[in-house]
Amino acid sequence: MAEQENTVDTLTDKQLEERQNAHPFAVPFLWLGDQKVIDNFIWIPVIGMIAMIALGVVFPQAKPAPWDVIPGSWAIIGFVAYSFIVLCAKPLFTLLARNEDYYGEGGLPDPEYSTDPDITGEHHD
Amino acid sequence: MIDIFQVNPGLWLILAGLICALVPKGDAFAMLRKALVIGAPILAAVMITQIYTSQEVLAGRINIGGLELTTLRIDNLSMVWGYLFCLIGVLNGIFGFHEKCRITDSSALVYAGAAIAGVLSGDLLTLFLFWELTAISSVFLIWKGGEHAYAAGIRYLALHVLSGVLLLAGAIVYAKANGGDYMFNNIGLDVPGGWLILIAIGIKCGFPFLHMWMQDAYPKASITGTVILSAFTTKMAIYALARGYVGTDVLIYIGAVMTCFPVFFALIENDLRRVLAFSLNNQLGFMVCGIGIGTELALNGVVGQVFVHVIFKSLLFMSIGAVMYRVGTAKASELGGLFRSMPFTAVFCLIGAGSIAAFPLLAAFVTKAMIISAVIYEATYNPGLYVIAGMLLFASAGVMEHSGIKVPYFTFFSHDSGRRVKEAPWNMLVAMGLASALCIFLAFPWGGYQMLYSLMPYEANYEPYTVDHVVFQLQLLFAAISAFCVLKKLKLYPAEKRAEILDFDWTYRKLGLGIVRWIGAMWTRLGTAISRVRNRAIEGTGRRLYQMFSPAGAMSEDAPSGLAAVLTAGMLIIVLIFIYFVR
Repeated sequence: MAEQENTVDTLTDKQLEERQNAHPFAVPFLWLGDQKVIDNFIWIPVIGMIAMIALGVVFPQAKPAPWDVIPGSWAIIGFVAYSFIVLCAKPLFTLLARNEDYYGEGGLPDPEYSTDPDITGEHHD
Repeated sequence: MIDIFQVNPGLWLILAGLICALVPKGDAFAMLRKALVIGAPILAAVMITQIYTSQEVLAGRINIGGLELTTLRIDNLSMVWGYLFCLIGVLNGIFGFHEKCRITDSSALVYAGAAIAGVLSGDLLTLFLFWELTAISSVFLIWKGGEHAYAAGIRYLALHVLSGVLLLAGAIVYAKANGGDYMFNNIGLDVPGGWLILIAIGIKCGFPFLHMWMQDAYPKASITGTVILSAFTTKMAIYALARGYVGTDVLIYIGAVMTCFPVFFALIENDLRRVLAFSLNNQLGFMVCGIGIGTELALNGVVGQVFVHVIFKSLLFMSIGAVMYRVGTAKASELGGLFRSMPFTAVFCLIGAGSIAAFPLLAAFVTKAMIISAVIYEATYNPGLYVIAGMLLFASAGVMEHSGIKVPYFTFFSHDSGRRVKEAPWNMLVAMGLASALCIFLAFPWGGYQMLYSLMPYEANYEPYTVDHVVFQLQLLFAAISAFCVLKKLKLYPAEKRAEILDFDWTYRKLGLGIVRWIGAMWTRLGTAISRVRNRAIEGTGRRLYQMFSPAGAMSEDAPSGLAAVLTAGMLIIVLIFIYFVR
């Protein structure tokens, strides 16, 4: 209990406010929003990927496809495919994106069942 | 006396839906409606259990105008869809428990009932009937989204009614060539009417260029409506494909394209419900491809994938629906950091995201692998299929992007939007909790996926938890997450921006509408021009006649008697010649 009070004492006003506003079950996980944690999160998938590539060399596919002769083939496919998809975003957005009221189908939503911040910003407390 | 074991179980839900529609409004009666919404699917599931006896059951035969209809067929294929629709009907009922809306309750019941009755129907005409009923009943769920959903609902209805008309036309052509037999068995493309029926199914299934209704209508429906809509229509179409078009080669290619193209749209889409609609389209591609492959492994994979897909896709729609209910928006640009306020919803969303991305110990890990493995095994005999397998792997990385990372990340993590809201209502949490538990259970290595296997149409020998499968699947997923982190660090990952993303529906919403308006405008102009010319002609003729014959006209002017005599003589000659020849 004393330890907990000490911990609370060391918190900044911002952190205290964040704790007060957060759901009780979310409080132990507020560190997930910490910038250092976010910055260093990358190591988890990278280490996982390297470990799986190593394991893949030890335990090859039982029924391999032609690309499985390359070590880490699925990791390469995953990385390249994901990057390709994401890098397509900019040209695609330029080509396909229009203003939100492009089709001009506005109107008032029914606030009881559906909400749209474009129009009313309704929400349920 | 009606034998209830001859009655299609879906009809009990439709009956419950009609009763719901007649129950008066008000909180006191809302509980009665909710009892029907949750109880009716349970009753239908019990009836399926009672009727099905591990062998094909054909019942409910009706003779109408010389046509023999088989309104009920339960076999090892339709049984899976029947149970699945009952299960998801219950989950949807719990999710929408807070919503005291008579239209939603009755539409949901009739819609779910029509879907169950459709998959349990034995012939094409009965299927057509319920095919159309799903369209008509579900459009109310879209319109419940508000006035801005009206046009999308009309487009949805038009396309689905067209699908029904094509199905009926195909069924008639098929039956005519088949000695008047309307039984819904394997059809294929080589028989008359085969293509018509395939296109009809393709509309409901979201084939490329026929898919737009999904991304148009689903995000505009009510919160509960979107969850309900995501479960039935498309899976009913997958059932129809699995019944009628197993091993049809063209489906392999259609399915592969379906898996790939939605990932690009999902990436740049800001509305997360629309992202999930694209994701739904992508997942349907895996199923369509598996049906095209048509081997026992592929079909088992399809059946398993349909079963778990309905659950995890509903879970994802539920979690975003819960966020929308509390925050008021499902736009990624307006969200972020919500794990602080909605931790349970965040956990459920992550389970759904992990399931769709096929993480080990989560739902699709077993079933998606069956479909991809089936393609790779078949590629041994047909090396061209390695391209398809590559496309499916590419799409798997895409799934990781839009559903595995984008949906949970931009909603619950990412930058803190500063929104502090309440956790989702208890009923939504219960529904999401049950769906999450099923996602975990159905991939559980000890007794979990084996239960899923027991529902599959063929004996399942596929072993999902081998070291190589786990290792290579994790390679793909970790690499995709690594790519996300790297692109984020390099600021190459696009920020979410509010925009309307054009899809193929632009061709009829803008281009088609523009052409129709242009034709209308031209028609009006043409009418005006014709009218002007006609009026001028009439006016000119009238004026000239007046000038000629009026009292002041040319004919009334004094003329020399000589000229009059010449004119009279000329007319006399003409009359004489005429009489001479007529005689």
